[in-house]
Amino acid sequence: MPGTIAPPDIEIIIEDSRGGGGGGGRPPDGGDDGDRGKYRPNGPPSPRRFSTAITIAMVSILMFFMALASAFLVLHHSSHVWVAVHLPMILWANTAVLIGSSFLLERARARLSLGDERGFRKLWLVTTAMGFLFVAGQLVAWRQLAAQGVYIASNQASSFFYIFTGAHGVHLLGGVAALLFVLLRNFEKSQVSRSLAAEITSYYWHFMDGLWIFLFALLYLGK
Amino acid sequence: MVTYDDAGQPKTPQGNFVSRYLFSTDHKTIGLQYLWLALISVFLGMAMSLIMRIHLAWPAAQVPFLSALGDTPERYGLLPLLHGSLMVFFVLTAAPQLGFGNYLLPLQIGAREMAFPVLSLFSFWASVVSLFGIIAAFWAAPQNGIDIWIVSICIFLVAALASAINFSVTAIDLRAKGMTLQRLPLTVWAWLVNAILGMLIFSILLASCAGLLSDRFFGTHFFSAAAFLASQSANVAADPLPALWQRLFWFFAQAEVYIAMLPCFGFVSHLIATFSRKPVWKERLVVLALCAVGLVGFCVWGQHMFSSGLNPYSPLVFSVLAASLGVPAVILLVSWFATLWKARLQLNTSLLFALGFVSLFLSGGLSGIFLARRDLNARAVSEDLVTGHFHLVMGVAATFAVLAALFFWFPKLFGRRLNESLGKTHFWLTFAGVYCVFMPMHWLGLVSQSAKNAGADLSSIATWVAPARSFITVGILLTVFAQGIFLFNFLWTLLRGERVKEDNPWRATTLEWSVASPPPTDDFGDGGPSVYRGAYEFGVRGGAEDFIPQHVAPGRVAKAN
Repeated sequence: MPGTIAPPDIEIIIEDSRGGGGGGGRPPDGGDDGDRGKYRPNGPPSPRRFSTAITIAMVSILMFFMALASAFLVLHHSSHVWVAVHLPMILWANTAVLIGSSFLLERARARLSLGDERGFRKLWLVTTAMGFLFVAGQLVAWRQLAAQGVYIASNQASSFFYIFTGAHGVHLLGGVAALLFVLLRNFEKSQVSRSLAAEITSYYWHFMDGLWIFLFALLYLGK
Repeated sequence: MVTYDDAGQPKTPQGNFVSRYLFSTDHKTIGLQYLWLALISVFLGMAMSLIMRIHLAWPAAQVPFLSALGDTPERYGLLPLLHGSLMVFFVLTAAPQLGFGNYLLPLQIGAREMAFPVLSLFSFWASVVSLFGIIAAFWAAPQNGIDIWIVSICIFLVAALASAINFSVTAIDLRAKGMTLQRLPLTVWAWLVNAILGMLIFSILLASCAGLLSDRFFGTHFFSAAAFLASQSANVAADPLPALWQRLFWFFAQAEVYIAMLPCFGFVSHLIATFSRKPVWKERLVVLALCAVGLVGFCVWGQHMFSSGLNPYSPLVFSVLAASLGVPAVILLVSWFATLWKARLQLNTSLLFALGFVSLFLSGGLSGIFLARRDLNARAVSEDLVTGHFHLVMGVAATFAVLAALFFWFPKLFGRRLNESLGKTHFWLTFAGVYCVFMPMHWLGLVSQSAKNAGADLSSIATWVAPARSFITVGILLTVFAQGIFLFNFLWTLLRGERVKEDNPWRATTLEWSVASPPPTDDFGDGGPSVYRGAYEFGVRGGAEDFIPQHVAPGRVAKAN
């Protein structure tokens, strides 16, 4: 996954957190535990939990799509009534938009780590708009297929096309919501910094990007 | 819900009843709520099995209240589905992992909370909605009922996925200072491996349910039998179940067995060590075995599909994999026996249930090794044998482990101790009861299988089947009666049971016993605990006590006078 280098301010947060978890914290030796309060303030737990959680959630989402993908391959091989879907050309444009949005998101995070708040906001807003553009483009693809008379129940191949794009679209809208959250949230009173939230959102967004490329390749090559 | 004893508590919970109990994000409240949910579900599920067995033995019998559950053929046919959904999802998945896990995981690793408390709250209430949905599906018309059932299962799966993420992150990132991986109690290891396994397989069932719903609502043909039959050669078409659904379903369902069992392995290792006053034998090997159960359990779905037209080589692979699950199982068993070996056992109800688990796991697991043979399975071992096998090894064994855990942690949960005499009566009646129910079931399965062979003397077999069925039903009645004793013990103890005087009545080592019972609202208070040693330092010589808790620093171990 690109762009996982933590900006300096995140390093500080991690060092400030308790030394316990992750196997990294060394067990205290000797009988003196006078400094225990220093390691475990009674506040919110380490912000590292957010990156762990998003990693685990991504594996889980991947399993969901892998189950559907294996169903696709099995039915494609065994079915005698499979009629390949002619994929609309707009999907290529949508793919380009999504890859571009990932690129811009990294540029935005680079601005944020330089302290350029305005540049960050501008680029981040464009990324969010491109996310919406992608979803709109997918809807156009649906309309084009429907105009050809290819509906979800027409054929097993078309069912998979609609299920894959639909499920991916729903997950991607979650990513758009996260983008908006990072943009609009007031982080001054928050437990996490904006750069950490941006980093976690970027993991998910790149994951959605890669997932779409996989699904597109599957639909294109497997037709 | 339970009223806390305020006298010994530095901080009392804030807010009114609703925010304190119904919508609390406190991991202890949510854990207890899951346990209550499991308790209600287990008695509902037991009522289902009771009416089914009574009608199998005496078809014309009319039981007040219960017979109304199966008054039409459709509804009677739905009883096994409802029984299974309640027991698998709301008892076996909910009680050991979500109930005890939510309550004890943060306490045992020295964390103040779960990683995402609001997510825990969401998971619990989504599970409640799902439970109501499943019950509503039973009362709705058959066609709508199945739709409601699938949607309810989807809701439960989303809740379980959220919990799985929450558990993994908590165990990975929220451990107290000094709580290294080597020092984690085996219960925590089991919850962690289980959460990771759950995160993988619940997604797969969710995807399959999405396909099912799309088939039912949008008219697609992912799993339709017609499309499957059209695409198969004539000799395979004998089995009309769509192979794709079987594949996806068993991918989940075989691993679900380990979802129910893994936390139970953790409980039993933990309890046997505590009551033997000895360290867990080869603790690291046990951790590896727990991980191996999770890993191999994920790869054996094909063993349910030997008769569904798989590639002829794949049954061999699945058979070898499934049989290789025997290896971690044997490691666990050897560790339990070696820990018990020459120990001065404290034979209380909790340990009795843990030993009952070992017995049931062993006898149920032995038939599992036979069932993993592809040639036996290909001849379609009849339903009674499989029913007997998985009830013994999954349902009953897991329930025994949950009861062992309940007797052990009851003082922690409620500050009172369950009655030992009632507990032991409950144990022996249940132990005898479940063997009387499920062992004859194995036998019935083998007998009806041999009846299909050429030259079998059918008339002599038939005279034995009906008495065996009645015997099973009598066994069920005995077992259900014993659960009445448990329910009485449970409720009576909650209200007026014997209070525990000290915080650590079992003289256990893990962190949850270092705080008051029941724990204060903020668990460890300001500044969490530090951990200095492994989780099972029992049998220590030269000290005032034969054990050293995890939070005791090396210089502060009490010396013998």
